[in-house]
Amino acid sequence: MWATNLKVIGVVLGTLFVYTLICNKIPQMQSEVPQKITLGPNATPEQIAAAGEKVFSGVGGCGACHGLGTRAPNLLTDEKGTGQIGARCGKREPGKTCKQYLFESLDQPTAYVVSGYQPIMPRITKLVPPEQAWALVAYLESQGGTVDVTGADLGAAASAPAPAAGFAGGSTDPKALIKEAGCRNCHMLDGEGQTIAPDLTHVGSRRDAAAIRKKIVDPASDVTKGFESFAGVMPKTFGTDMSAAQLDALAQFLAGHK
Amino acid sequence: MTTHLLLSAAADSVRSYGEFPVIGARGAVWIAAQVHLMFAAFVLGVPMFAVVAEAIGIFAKDAKYDGLAKEFTRLLLVAYSATAIWGAILVFLLSTLYTRFWAYLTTVFGPSMWLYAGLFFFESFTLYLYYYGWGRWKYGRAKIVHWTLGILLNVWGTIVMLIANSWLTYMMTPPRDISSTTDPTTIKLWHAISNATWMPINIHRLIANVVFGGAIAAAYASYRFLAAKTDEERAYYDWMGYVGNFIAMSALIVLPFAGYWLGREIYQYDQSMGITMMGGFMSWLWVIQAFLIAVLFLAGNYYLWIGMGRIPGAERFRPYIKYLLIVLVLGAMVWGTPHTMIADSKELAAMGGSHHPLLGALGVMSAKNTAVNLMILATFLSFLMYRRGNKEFTVPWASTGTKIQGAMFVIAAGIVLFYGIRGYFVEAIVRIGFSVYQVGAVLACILCVTVIDTMMARGAKSVGEIQWGKMPARSQYALFILAVTFTWLMGLMGFARSGIRQYWHIWQVMEDTSKYAATPALGYASRMISLCVLIFLGLVGFVFWLGGLAEKSTFVSPGKEGQNVGH
Repeated sequence: MWATNLKVIGVVLGTLFVYTLICNKIPQMQSEVPQKITLGPNATPEQIAAAGEKVFSGVGGCGACHGLGTRAPNLLTDEKGTGQIGARCGKREPGKTCKQYLFESLDQPTAYVVSGYQPIMPRITKLVPPEQAWALVAYLESQGGTVDVTGADLGAAASAPAPAAGFAGGSTDPKALIKEAGCRNCHMLDGEGQTIAPDLTHVGSRRDAAAIRKKIVDPASDVTKGFESFAGVMPKTFGTDMSAAQLDALAQFLAGHK
Repeated sequence: MTTHLLLSAAADSVRSYGEFPVIGARGAVWIAAQVHLMFAAFVLGVPMFAVVAEAIGIFAKDAKYDGLAKEFTRLLLVAYSATAIWGAILVFLLSTLYTRFWAYLTTVFGPSMWLYAGLFFFESFTLYLYYYGWGRWKYGRAKIVHWTLGILLNVWGTIVMLIANSWLTYMMTPPRDISSTTDPTTIKLWHAISNATWMPINIHRLIANVVFGGAIAAAYASYRFLAAKTDEERAYYDWMGYVGNFIAMSALIVLPFAGYWLGREIYQYDQSMGITMMGGFMSWLWVIQAFLIAVLFLAGNYYLWIGMGRIPGAERFRPYIKYLLIVLVLGAMVWGTPHTMIADSKELAAMGGSHHPLLGALGVMSAKNTAVNLMILATFLSFLMYRRGNKEFTVPWASTGTKIQGAMFVIAAGIVLFYGIRGYFVEAIVRIGFSVYQVGAVLACILCVTVIDTMMARGAKSVGEIQWGKMPARSQYALFILAVTFTWLMGLMGFARSGIRQYWHIWQVMEDTSKYAATPALGYASRMISLCVLIFLGLVGFVFWLGGLAEKSTFVSPGKEGQNVGH
């Protein structure tokens, strides 16, 4: 009987040992708490970019999508012959410098979506403090380009009060809200936009303002026939990003599109 | 408002975090929560197992199942105490080590916590009635009433689980209108309970508990088998081990689908949380999970294949086993292929992307979904061969029926492969939808083939009785590995679920500002999980030993007791 007991204990301990050993042999990654960047106003571009690299592969989790060539554009390696992100960022959006474009992509990811990809990127400025977002911009610029983020940018970001105005600067202008939310990245409206999601040009003839508001707040509540395979693509965050007045203004505006 | 002011005052005057010697506050809460959860799964899974076994005993008039149900219910008596003790330890640790967080949670969920405690009371007394009434309410209508008590026991247990799930899912996915500035006293209880992941977790845990209950039951039986002194006893525990394993493996087949729903809800709730879970710092965790599930599939099938040795006539299926083994091994290799790994820029540049240029093609969802669905089909085929082992069908359409079954397997495998390959040529959002077709094909195949098999088995000739007890000892060790692996996997997935909150107690509502806020790497997590599993299995072993000490085994041999339980 003791032999059986020992064998059973041996099997249990052996199995636990193997599982624990394997888990300790693979690369060890701890998810760190975002730390305040302590670089001063005299920090060099290299120091800022190095801080940004930690954010990129740490709390930012950027490598989870960028680099596969399927979920999101490659950033550190070539993207379809256009080079690394630092080399192409200045040519992405007309009128925007590399620095402006990269920060916008972290703060308002749906404002400009690269052709061939879905608007699935989360708002990084909600996940990390502004100075870390700027460090990230510096790191991305360093990938094939020139870093022009300075210590002053970090200092200004760190000392700046949190934007109190909120979504679209607090504006209740439906057109500003549509632009900020990036609705046209998927929807067609008044002849502009994409056809990934239902055309909103005559949305008021299909839904009243209350139904449109509900759909904005909870996109999964009702999926338009013919677009079932795209269910889940629309961000669910507009309900919390926009104020009640903004949601009402947007819903009324769209309901007027008969 | 007054409560809020009091809470704020308390938060200001009382420390937010306490400290625990040696293992730290996080380690202490981790162990208490995990061991409590394992016992909770045990006391929820085993009554499901017991009540189904009792029903089979009543309706199939087989006393053996009734004895099985009673034997497990006896183990529950001690296990309930252990669950309550670990629950109390958890509450004490949370209230003293995570004071601010606990105050918040009790403010939002207070009334449901009272209900939780009350239900535990009802559950315990229903269990006492169920167990101690077994001998008294054994026949006729009284037996049905007794069985109803078993159902009631499960109802209480399930409600208890639903309540506890609401607390932990709220921590993961609090309703979107709740933010860090929301006064917790203004949050409506039902609003907090019915959060985005509550129902997916409920379903996932319910199924997982059946798997867990079956696996622990099988491990218990295998120990008793190895310790048995007579052939009769060995036969009984061999049979019990088979039933436990069958229940665990059957429920395991459904579990990935519930997990898929949960994952989808997490993605829909917050894309960044989903990405952290699947592709961020936790990406290696899924490779380990794939390895563990491969162990489960291989050990479960191995047990079935060895079991064919005690079934006269099953030797005709033996030549096919090697092909099933090939499918399972290849499937496990594909499923375990890493894909999205966090790497530094030099590593990324060396690979030309964040995945290996050759293996990366096997690490994507299309390949993995295909692999796991084929593994499920292979396991089902193993079970089908086992079931048919000693049967010779006598229905005139047996040959046609078998051909139809074969065609169903081929069609299901074809659909799985077709969508698996096509997934490489479409966009991600379309590819995700393909998994539904793959899963649908496999489930439809399992359902239709089972129905046809059941109809064909009517009036089938027996080539010979199953020789229960004639199993080599190594088969029983496979059952132990299954139980340890299920338990360890439960700990790992608990870490994944809890870890995706990262440095938040409550996602984007209450930040963890303690020195343990960083989510540890898998190495540390694995040591904690192994420690928890060791504590749990050690205590369960003690419970089993007590069960044997208190009363002799209830195994029933033909002729010793009436066969018609409940009639």
